[in-house]
Amino acid sequence: MSIMRVRWGPQHPVSGQWAFWLDVDGDIVVNMEPDIGYTHRGIEKVAENRTYIQNVPVVERTSVFDAGNIVFGYVQAVEELMGIEIPERAKYIRTIVGEMSRIVSHLYGLGLLAIAVGFETMLMWFINDRELFLDLFEMLTGARITYSFFIPGGVLHDLPQGFYDEAMRRLDYFERRLKDYWKMFFLNRTFITRTRGVGVLKREDAIRLGVVGPNLRASGVEADVRKDEPYAAYDQIDFIIPTEKEGDAYARGGVRFHELEQSVSIIRQALKKIPDGKIRVKVPITPTPPKGEAYSRVETARGEIGYYIISDGSNRPYRVKISAPSFRNLLAMPFLSRNVPMADIPTIYLSLDLIPLDVDR
Amino acid sequence: MIKVEEEVVETLKQTFTEYVVEAKVQREKRVTVVVKRERLVEIARFLRDNLQFDHIASVSGVDYPEKNEFMVVYHVWSIPKKVLVALKTSVPRDNPHLSSLISVWEGVNYFERETWEMFGIIFDGHPNLSRFLLPEDWDRGFPFRKDFKLRTKPE
Amino acid sequence: MNIETIIESLVALFINRPFIEMLIKVLIFPGLMFPLLFVVFAVWFERKLLAKVHLRIGPLHVGPGPLGGIFQLIADALKLLQKEIIVPYNAHKILYNILPLAMPMISLAAMAFIPVAPFPSVGPVDYLVVFYTPYNILVVLALFAIHPFLVIGVGWASGSKYTTMGALRAAYQLLAYEVPVMLSAACVVMVTGSFDLIKIVESQANIWYILLLPIAFLVFFVSMMAELGRRPFDIPHAEQEIVYGWATEFTGVHYVCVMFAEYVNLCVASCLVTLLFLGGWLGPVLPPAAWFLIKFGIVVVFFLMGRGVYPRLRIDQLLNAGWRILIPLALIQIFIILVLAKFAPWILPVTFVGG
Repeated sequence: MSIMRVRWGPQHPVSGQWAFWLDVDGDIVVNMEPDIGYTHRGIEKVAENRTYIQNVPVVERTSVFDAGNIVFGYVQAVEELMGIEIPERAKYIRTIVGEMSRIVSHLYGLGLLAIAVGFETMLMWFINDRELFLDLFEMLTGARITYSFFIPGGVLHDLPQGFYDEAMRRLDYFERRLKDYWKMFFLNRTFITRTRGVGVLKREDAIRLGVVGPNLRASGVEADVRKDEPYAAYDQIDFIIPTEKEGDAYARGGVRFHELEQSVSIIRQALKKIPDGKIRVKVPITPTPPKGEAYSRVETARGEIGYYIISDGSNRPYRVKISAPSFRNLLAMPFLSRNVPMADIPTIYLSLDLIPLDVDR
Repeated sequence: MIKVEEEVVETLKQTFTEYVVEAKVQREKRVTVVVKRERLVEIARFLRDNLQFDHIASVSGVDYPEKNEFMVVYHVWSIPKKVLVALKTSVPRDNPHLSSLISVWEGVNYFERETWEMFGIIFDGHPNLSRFLLPEDWDRGFPFRKDFKLRTKPE
Repeated sequence: MNIETIIESLVALFINRPFIEMLIKVLIFPGLMFPLLFVVFAVWFERKLLAKVHLRIGPLHVGPGPLGGIFQLIADALKLLQKEIIVPYNAHKILYNILPLAMPMISLAAMAFIPVAPFPSVGPVDYLVVFYTPYNILVVLALFAIHPFLVIGVGWASGSKYTTMGALRAAYQLLAYEVPVMLSAACVVMVTGSFDLIKIVESQANIWYILLLPIAFLVFFVSMMAELGRRPFDIPHAEQEIVYGWATEFTGVHYVCVMFAEYVNLCVASCLVTLLFLGGWLGPVLPPAAWFLIKFGIVVVFFLMGRGVYPRLRIDQLLNAGWRILIPLALIQIFIILVLAKFAPWILPVTFVGG
C-alpha cells in the first residue's frame, strides 16, 4: 500500500492550534513532522519593547494554563538582575500559587490524556475539579486564569481572610477525589491497555532529546528544579519527586497524578508554615537593573522553563529568551511517532502534554 | 558549595587554553564560558563527554549591531553535576555561519532552527533549516534582529 | 354507482379489524413511530445519563421541567435539514448522495421483522410484528450485516483521507464481531430448535436464556456493542484520531440520516438482546408490551453506559478480543449445550433429535 500523507490539524478535534504531517502506511504512521507557528506572537520581541513590569502579563501569555509558574521564572530573573531578595512571606505565597497553578495545569493535562483515548467522563471530572482551584485563585488574586500575581519584588496581595480554611476544605475534598481518580482512571483496564507500552521514551533518549518535566521523570530521571536548585520556599518543605521507570504514556500520566498528591501536601505545609511579614519589597515602577544577564529556571507543570534575560542598563530588557517546556518536549513527538498505529498519535501527543501556545510563544 | 563550578572553569581553561576567551563562575550553579567559534564543536563535545553536561536547556541568539556581531548562547544543564553552563560564542553579523551542535546534543535541533529563522544565523550541518514558526510566505527579514522595523500601527 | 356505495365499500375496505391492526403494526408500535420516538428519547436520555456520570447537569432548556432538552433533537434535526448539502470535490457524487439515505432505510427494514409482543386480542393469537416470517432472526442479522458495507462504501465515496481510514477500520472491525454474533445467536437457535423469534421467546417461559446461556449472552452483547460502534468500540468514528471517521464529510440531511440509522440500529440491537436472552415480553401481571419495553429500556441503558465508563480500544486490541476471547467463548458455549443435550437434556427446552 502506498504511503498517504495526512494533515492532522489544525482543524481537528484534539490537535490544538497546530498541525502534524503524518505519513501513514495503512494504519501505521511511518513519519511525522510538526507544523507549528499558528499562535506565534513573538513574545520575546514584544518583551524587548516594554518595561520590566509591563512584561509580566506579556510573558504570562506564553502558557495561560500554568500562569503562576510561567511568570515565576520571569520575576526571578528580574530579581536576580536587580539583586533583590524578597521577603519570606512572599516566598511562601509564591510557592502556594505555583503549586495551585501546577495542580490546575496537571488536571487539564490529565483530562486531555483521558480524552485522547476517548474517555469523556474523566475529562469532565478533571475539568470539574479544576474549578476548586480556579475559585481559590479568584479569591486570592481576583482573576481565575491570567492573574499576573507575581511582580518583581514580591506578590501583589496578601492571603485574604478565610483563605486558610477555604483552601484546607478544598484540599480535603480534592484528596478524596484523587482516590476516585486512581480507581476510575489509572486502574481502568481499558485505559491501561491503551497507554501501557505506548510511546516509550527511554532514559537515554529522553536526556539526549532534552525532554523536561514529568516526561523526563517518567523515563526514570530524577530531575526537578524544585529539588536541584530550590527557589522560593521549596527548600523548607518536605516533598518527593515522583518518578517512573517505564517511560510510556501511562507512566507520564502516573507521574502527573503523583505530582498532584505532592502539590496538595506542599500547599498544606506552606499554609501551615507561612511566616508573618511583608509581602513585597519596594521596587520602582520602572525598574532599571544594572548591566548583566541572568538565567532563571523554574519547574512549571510541563517541565523546566528557562528565562535568559540580558539587561543593558535601561528600563527595557535587551533580550528575553524563553526556553519553554513544550518547545523542548516537542522534539520527542516526531521521535516517538515513528512506526506507531495512527490511533496512538493522540495518546502520545497528549501524554507529552504539549500545548501549542507554549511551543510557539 | 561553589567547588564544582570552579572545577569546570579550571578544566576548560586548561584544556582549551587559547580558545576560551573568558570563563567564570557567575554565581552558584551558573558558569559562563565564552569561546571562539572555530573550536565550538570540540569544546561542546568535551563538555558533554568529560564534564557530563548532557541536557540542553536553551539556545539563544543575541544581536549586537554596534559590535557588528551576533552572540549565540547555548545553555546546557548537567543532570549529575547540577550545574548550568552558558556556552557563548560570537558570530560576525555580515557572515553569520556557525557549525551546528546537533552532533553533540540532539536537543538543539529545534532551537537552532528557531534561531536561524529569527536571526538568520546559519548553522552549518543542521539537517533541516526551513520555515518553522513564521508563516511560509514570510518575506520581511529576520524579526528578532535589532534593526527589524516593528509596525506600530496597522497600515 | 352512487356515492353511498363508494363510501360503503371504502368503509368496508378500511374500517375493519385486519386493516386497523395492520396500520397499528406498521405505523405505531413496532413500525415507524416506535423507532422515531425511540431515537428522540434515546438521544435525550443519553445526554442526561452521561451528564449524570460526568457530574454535570446536562440539557435543561428546550423542554418542560425535568424533561429539559427533549425537543433539542427535533430542533437540531430541523436545523440540519435546512443546511446546504456539501458534496466534496473528490467525492463519487451518486454514491455519496444515495448511501447515507439507504442507511436508515435498511435499519428500519430490520425493525419490520421483529415481533415485540402478542397483540391484545380475543381471537387466535396474533403478534405485533410488521412482517412475519419463521426465519426472522436470520433476516434481521443479515440486514444488520449490510450496514458495514454501506459504511465502507460511504467512506470510499466521500473521497477524503479520514473517511477512507474510517471505512477501513469499519472493515477490520467487521472481522472482529461478525463471527461471534452469529455463533452466539446460533447457541440460542440450537437450544430452541427454531429460527423464529416468537418461538425463541416462548421457549423461555421456564428459564430465560441469560441464565441458561450466560456466556452466549455476554458474547452477543459485547459483539453487538462492537456492531453498533458504541464506545469502547467506536473505532470507525474515533473522533480524537480520525476526526469523525467515515462520516466526516457529511452535512445536513446526510448527517441526520447517518445518526438516525445509528440509533435505529441501537433500537434493533436492544430488541434482539431482549428477545433472545431476556425472555422478550414474558412476565407476570403487566401486559406483555410493557414487559418488553421495560427490558428493552434496561438493555438500552447498558448499551449507552459504555460511553461513560470506558475509553476506546485500538483496532488491533479489538481484533485480539474478537478472535482470542469472543469466538472461543462462543464455541465453549456451543460445547456446553452439546454436553447438556447429551447428559442433562431435561434442562433444555427442546429435545435434540440426535440427543
